[in-house]
Amino acid sequence: MPDSRALRAQFDDLGQQREAAALGMWVLLATEVLFFGALFTGYTVYRLAFHDAFVAGSGHLNVVLGTANTAVLITSSLTMALADVASRSGSRRAVIGFLAATAVLGSAFLAIKGLEYAQEYREGLVPLNSLVFSYSGPDAERVQMFFNFYFAMTGWHSLHLLIGIGLLIVFIVLAWRGRDRVRLEGNVRAGALYWHFVDIVWLFLFPVLYLVR
Amino acid sequence: MEKQTVRSFVFVYLALIGLLALTVGSSFLELGRLNVFVNLAIAAIKAGLVAAFFMELRAAQAVVRLAALAGLFWLALLLGLSLADFLTR
Repeated sequence: MPDSRALRAQFDDLGQQREAAALGMWVLLATEVLFFGALFTGYTVYRLAFHDAFVAGSGHLNVVLGTANTAVLITSSLTMALADVASRSGSRRAVIGFLAATAVLGSAFLAIKGLEYAQEYREGLVPLNSLVFSYSGPDAERVQMFFNFYFAMTGWHSLHLLIGIGLLIVFIVLAWRGRDRVRLEGNVRAGALYWHFVDIVWLFLFPVLYLVR
Repeated sequence: MEKQTVRSFVFVYLALIGLLALTVGSSFLELGRLNVFVNLAIAAIKAGLVAAFFMELRAAQAVVRLAALAGLFWLALLLGLSLADFLTR
């Protein structure tokens, strides 16, 4: 017997409710595409104007850690997709297991990103207000522009991922406390769309920032 | 769990990891301007795989796909019109 709150009053049936939820999530994601799109557009304009400096700046990023992080995030998308399937047709334990695996992988991504930020901080490549940006090569101001974009874009992305991890923890607690199956499925569905979107943003950020040639 | 779906997800995952290796590998080749296009093309394929399979756009209703396409459409305007200016100065 499903929870009476599983089907909201404004919908005829669960199928219609699911479709409306998917539509709502995709509209939200379309606005997010434009949010990150503005950053990508600004970056593209400056990269075209300051090409050599952006190649130099990109050369200071850690490609090994960046590649590892991409693999971590792709793996987290797989476990998220499996949590999504499990919420429809698997056991509650499987849902909790896959959600937890996704949260751990997402946290690993942030930890690795933190290592990279620490490395860049030690090299004096963080152009934030009170910090000294000490780059001794040519075109230091243009290289600084690259790092402005790098920290703005990866910073906003990491914030999105942090929000995603928070959502996963909430879902794990809800599942643990025996939330109605249909309602949990709806939560995981929406969370999965958000998580995959954040993964897609990184799939573009990685080559665009780390592999400038 | 749905065996068929799980299997397709694992294949997509392997394809994504393979494409990641390809994009990193290609960056060590001297292709000049072509490097950028190879990277962006691979990223677009990866994004397409994630959207079609993990996000299940493949099986989604027309109106949901339309919402996803609307995001891409506005992004194309944003990038396209901006670059039409900056590339032709």
